[in-house]
Amino acid sequence: MTRFLLPILGGLVLGGLVHIVSIFALPQLAQNDAYARLERLGRTNEIVQIPDPTPFESLLPRLDPAFVFAACVFDLSHGPLAISVPTTPDLTSVAFYTRRGRVFYSLNDRAAARRSIDLQLMTPEQRALLPRDEDLTAADRLIIESSAIQGIVFVRAFVREEGARQNVRQQLTNAKCGPLSAAR
Amino acid sequence: MTWLMSARDNGFGALDVGVWRAWPRSGTYDADPYARASFARSGDLPIGLSEGISFVATTDNQGRAIDGRCITRIKGKFLPARFWTLTIYDGRGRLIENSATRYGFTSTEVLFDAEGDAEIWLSPRAHSGNWLPTGESERIIAVIRLYDTPTGVARSEVAQMPRVTREKCP
Repeated sequence: MTRFLLPILGGLVLGGLVHIVSIFALPQLAQNDAYARLERLGRTNEIVQIPDPTPFESLLPRLDPAFVFAACVFDLSHGPLAISVPTTPDLTSVAFYTRRGRVFYSLNDRAAARRSIDLQLMTPEQRALLPRDEDLTAADRLIIESSAIQGIVFVRAFVREEGARQNVRQQLTNAKCGPLSAAR
Repeated sequence: MTWLMSARDNGFGALDVGVWRAWPRSGTYDADPYARASFARSGDLPIGLSEGISFVATTDNQGRAIDGRCITRIKGKFLPARFWTLTIYDGRGRLIENSATRYGFTSTEVLFDAEGDAEIWLSPRAHSGNWLPTGESERIIAVIRLYDTPTGVARSEVAQMPRVTREKCP
């Protein structure tokens, strides 16, 4: 009896280890995660409009059909980005995700001073390189630090009733995402 | 009539209010490894916690799976939010095809009764009031998304979410 016990225990421990390793490795190995799907839609560091989900097609699973979406797949390796999202009539929010789909920052239009949400996205290293005086005059600009070089900026705009959809979509086409140097 | 239900944390990071379950940490950087693995596989981008929170129900208040061939009533008050939406999906998470392209209701378009309750009917055939077509899907996943909620709202002792009741089956 005891001679079976050790192999069984060993098998269980090994199985447990494989399970833990696979769960942690899955985000790195997934082929069809949100980043991969959005990347196929357009270029990096540009705003892309997400088609409204239908029963037959949805770029990402379980999107809220009461919203209009846009995204910017970002890559900070060539410098910081400037992002500007117009506030739509009801609710506009922006969320930042790492390459692996983890949210690291989100905000909604309550945080917007004017008629748009204006943000600058950069790595802590890039922020450290900002001229000091510029950092001071930038009090009205919101700087988001990203530890991820690649990731997703995802914009959500609420549509209070279907008749308003075209208008909200039209406003979102004015959203911008691009190199900070070009925006100045 | 109001339905008082206290919210409870199930210890795995889920938050239950009645039959509605949310995973508040999935909207933060601290999402657990299982949630992250599941999002990576499905391609989900969970809404950020400062954007809102989503609650999912797959059963009625009697513990039976929500069946799209039956008439199901979702009625009650919602947790406070600037806006909420209620959307239904089939068992595989797809929107349900219907000629009215009606996939859900928002707090701005739904009709409320005199007590301030929203009452929404899930039914394969036309129903009076706020009707969501279920297209005879055997399994229904109902999702309530609360946008721009006060922080910690769902943890209140008197947290309220609508009751899910099976009214009639063929």
